[in-house]
Amino acid sequence: MPQRATSLALAAVTAVTILPLSGCFGGDSVEAASGSGDALKGASFTVGSKDFAEQIILGRMTVDLLKANGAKVTDKTNIKGSASTRKALVSGDISMYWEYTGTGWITYLKHTKPIADQRGQFEKVAAEDLAKNSIAWIDPPAPLNNTYAFAVRKDKADALGLKSLSDLAALSRSKPSEATFCIESEFSTRDDGFPGLLKAYGIKAPGAQVKMLDTGLIYTETAKGKTCNFGEVFATDGRIPANKLVVLEDDKKFFPVYQPALTLKKGTLEKYPALKKIFAPLAEKLTTFEMQKLNALADVEGEDPEDIATSWLEDNGFLK
Amino acid sequence: MTAVATPASAPSRRRSLTGVIGIRHLATPAVVVVALIADYLWVHSLRLDSIEQRTLNSGYLVGRTAEHLKLTLVATVLIMSIAVPLGVLISRVRARWVPPLVLGLANVGQATPAIGVLVLLTITVGPGVGVAMTSLVAYSALPVLRNTLIGIQQVDPTLIEAARGMGMRPAQVLWRIEMPLAVPVVLAGLRTALVFCVGVATLATFVNAGGLGDIIVNGIKLDRDPVLVTGSILTASIALLLDWAGGLVESALRPKGT
Repeated sequence: MPQRATSLALAAVTAVTILPLSGCFGGDSVEAASGSGDALKGASFTVGSKDFAEQIILGRMTVDLLKANGAKVTDKTNIKGSASTRKALVSGDISMYWEYTGTGWITYLKHTKPIADQRGQFEKVAAEDLAKNSIAWIDPPAPLNNTYAFAVRKDKADALGLKSLSDLAALSRSKPSEATFCIESEFSTRDDGFPGLLKAYGIKAPGAQVKMLDTGLIYTETAKGKTCNFGEVFATDGRIPANKLVVLEDDKKFFPVYQPALTLKKGTLEKYPALKKIFAPLAEKLTTFEMQKLNALADVEGEDPEDIATSWLEDNGFLK
Repeated sequence: MTAVATPASAPSRRRSLTGVIGIRHLATPAVVVVALIADYLWVHSLRLDSIEQRTLNSGYLVGRTAEHLKLTLVATVLIMSIAVPLGVLISRVRARWVPPLVLGLANVGQATPAIGVLVLLTITVGPGVGVAMTSLVAYSALPVLRNTLIGIQQVDPTLIEAARGMGMRPAQVLWRIEMPLAVPVVLAGLRTALVFCVGVATLATFVNAGGLGDIIVNGIKLDRDPVLVTGSILTASIALLLDWAGGLVESALRPKGT
């Protein structure tokens, strides 16, 4: 009952945040006819994704590209939560989805300390996941880094002269009352989350000045600035520019790297080695800047992630 | 004579609390104790990483459990003090359209997803315990309101007739005939509301109001099963124990002969 209530809650939360943007969803808008090859002729895949805009967009790009290469594709994007998405991959319910290096390392491989170097983090997570769980990560990962960040209203940042997390640390000592935070509850328990951040930068944050909120609410509350001045956000989220927030630079490189790469079972990649050739060029094009733009189309403009994915692929020459 | 007889008959009018606890009443606490011990032993047999340790320590668990109980109990007290008088009030109203209207509103409260109410209220007034409490009350008031109304309506009209015939005033009829006879039905509604509250209070975590949702959501998001299972077992235990306690009170307060 409580567990059900919570997953319902999560579903509801996501519905609240994603519903307006996902619109009518699923279905086969892109036919294999727009093909750029038949490398995957006869193959059939089920593509999954987590339940937020960036993931759905990445998932839909994957669907389109697979179809364009002659494969039969079932769309199972928009699965509630990281853990369920990963479980769907491991159990074979889906054949592939985009996972983030930091998430793989900390959540699935159960490490508590991230690796600072981007390339190093990818290589470690790919090697260990392959050895332990027979899950392959297609190399290279996208250059975008959807890591944690702290955002603040632009006018507030200008008024207080804040540019980096080190500036925030200084502020927490000179004007302690301004150092108010909105974070997710999970962030409060991670080494690579709040406890580690406070230690790394020497930020002072008394318990009463730290509010724990749902992800979606953090953006609105940070934009209002009443509950908190500093909100924990995701670096590629389109709501950062939309809410006139700026991200404080992680000048000590504290946060882990969260680069997405397509993950799939080792056996699938061995059977269809063409997948690497198809998805490597796509990954290379996905920068933080590019992704923030696409996410904003979904989260702010309310466009359908399916259309966003297809038209981006067309504009960038992946689909004819 | 009557003055002497009243105190002597008082204990027999209501069954004492100890009298109602039989073997069959011990099943729920036994299940809860076994589940908690099993979880404790299981968690202790594991090597917890630092993420799990930050959640699965006695200080954190006791703190969140206390917050959860507080949310549940305060909400229940609020529900009782709003829904019972309201139920009585609409049972007195002559206009036929009033009860369905009030019940309809309560239905809307329950049918609206609690998380939606939470998020909307937070966006308008800001996060906090007040917001969590409001959505708890809105979500869980219906069973108490409806049962109060039904409890009063189901009282045998001939009894009320007889009471009036004995010269009782309407207030006396309410307090001495209708309310005591409605108690079991009202308490049944209260038990339902309590269990609702325990479940919905897990959502308080999304609006900075704490509770066991902190633990459950953490366990889900970071895929840490010991955290998720412990949070869920604690929540389920609270729900079972409160329902159990409600059952005891219900048996104790049940009027004789019903």
